[in-house]
Amino acid sequence: MNNDNHFEPHILAFLCNWCTYTGADLAGTSRLQYPPNVRVIRTMCSGAVDPVYVLKPLLDGADGVFIGGCHPGDCHYQTGNYKTRRRYVALTEILKAVGFDEQRVWLRWISASEGQKFAETMTEMVVAIKELGPNPMRTSWTV
Amino acid sequence: MNTMLPLQNGDPLITVRGFLRQLLETGVVEAIFLPLEVDGGATLPALVADPAWLDQADPLTPVMPINSARAVSALTNKHSPARLGVVLRPCEIRALIELVKLQQATLENVTLIGLDCPGTYEVAEYIEGKHAGRITLADYLEVAGDDRQPALVGPSLRPACQMCDQPVPEHVDIHLRLFGLGTDQAIPVTLSDEIAEKLGLSQVSQPAADGRQAVVDRLTAARRQVREKELAAIRERLDADGGLASLFATCIRCHNCMTVCPICYCKTCLFKTAAFDHPPEHYLNAARRRGAVRMLGDTLLFQLTRLNHMSASCVSCGMCTSACPADIPVGAIFSAVGAQVQAAFDYQPGRDVSDPLPLITFQANEWTQIGEEK
Repeated sequence: MNNDNHFEPHILAFLCNWCTYTGADLAGTSRLQYPPNVRVIRTMCSGAVDPVYVLKPLLDGADGVFIGGCHPGDCHYQTGNYKTRRRYVALTEILKAVGFDEQRVWLRWISASEGQKFAETMTEMVVAIKELGPNPMRTSWTV
Repeated sequence: MNTMLPLQNGDPLITVRGFLRQLLETGVVEAIFLPLEVDGGATLPALVADPAWLDQADPLTPVMPINSARAVSALTNKHSPARLGVVLRPCEIRALIELVKLQQATLENVTLIGLDCPGTYEVAEYIEGKHAGRITLADYLEVAGDDRQPALVGPSLRPACQMCDQPVPEHVDIHLRLFGLGTDQAIPVTLSDEIAEKLGLSQVSQPAADGRQAVVDRLTAARRQVREKELAAIRERLDADGGLASLFATCIRCHNCMTVCPICYCKTCLFKTAAFDHPPEHYLNAARRRGAVRMLGDTLLFQLTRLNHMSASCVSCGMCTSACPADIPVGAIFSAVGAQVQAAFDYQPGRDVSDPLPLITFQANEWTQIGEEK
């Protein structure tokens, strides 16, 4: 799993119940194929994803973390995803500042009707993370 | 209104005590929060209701055992029970403003009394220096005048104070202007007309402002230089491979930094719950996976989570560094990272109660490229 020739990234995805999770469901019911590297956790809103949820897997060695939410203006709770966006800005600023590769954390807006986009985005992310290689935290003992 | 407090008994401390006593006795405030002398040479912040206790008051004390914004939060909470006067340092005022925005304190019914702050010592070093006669009030007050650290022999200022570029209080109702002051001179005070009237003070012209401003500018520039150098050194270490882990290599996860942080107000911090009490197998599995694993775990997770939760509001008071038993420059690390977060949101913590906290507000039309395909 961990050798350079065949690296299969582990990606954790937090999907908002109303849009991206439903979009992922649509990808499934439409029998769209996407790489099986993604483990999905459903949250009620992308705004409910505390940065600690992203940091914990990253420090434990996950190769990528994905956050999926409704398009701006479409939040089921009106403004949750706008707050997600600001939190993402803060989180990536901090990751950059402390020498983490912030490209391991993705935020994408995918609606309930965008099953195709979900499958494509997952494919795209797996390719991108494969290029980055394994998360160095996987083998770090001093976390 | 600007006025001057004539020096009483040739002693600035007695003069300031007299002024504060007047605030209490004329009913401008019903109780006053400030540092009181305690046995053994230290001072502790206290709430004083009886003016007689002001004989023990030492608002000019060069130590801050806690960031007193935390105390003002406890004293005011949602609404202040009486007209309170609070004597605070500039970094404490900035922290208080953040706590007001976080709905943990209020400025209603509160008279903010701010002092120019030459800096503070670690408590233990101050007590030792005071007993040995190395730290004197006169020396301490005169530091800003000729660009030096107080009491060059013996203890030095806390690291956060050595690099403090905001030593002048903002947004105060009463400002005691200590910078550029000889200890044998009257003390310039700026206060609202309403308070001045109650105290029976009338306008007295203060010494030319540019003399004082030059002193403040020199001090601020010198300390900003230290700050930039310190933060650059921290950033260089963070940029190195495994930099964060190496900076926190000696962290024992005592949570002191969080406990003393004025911004970390959560009653039940995630890290004080059982959330990270993993079953024993978890650690064994992690050790098998990685070869070895640090105990106690989740150290970097704690620090990174704290950075995410509070660094936008970090006022660089450096209490975390003072409280760290492992001598980690926590405050400099948080200031270095915090400055980048604050710059991203164009946010300056403690500047103004009307500036919204960056993580609870938003604009619909900002960062519109985020979340879209690249």
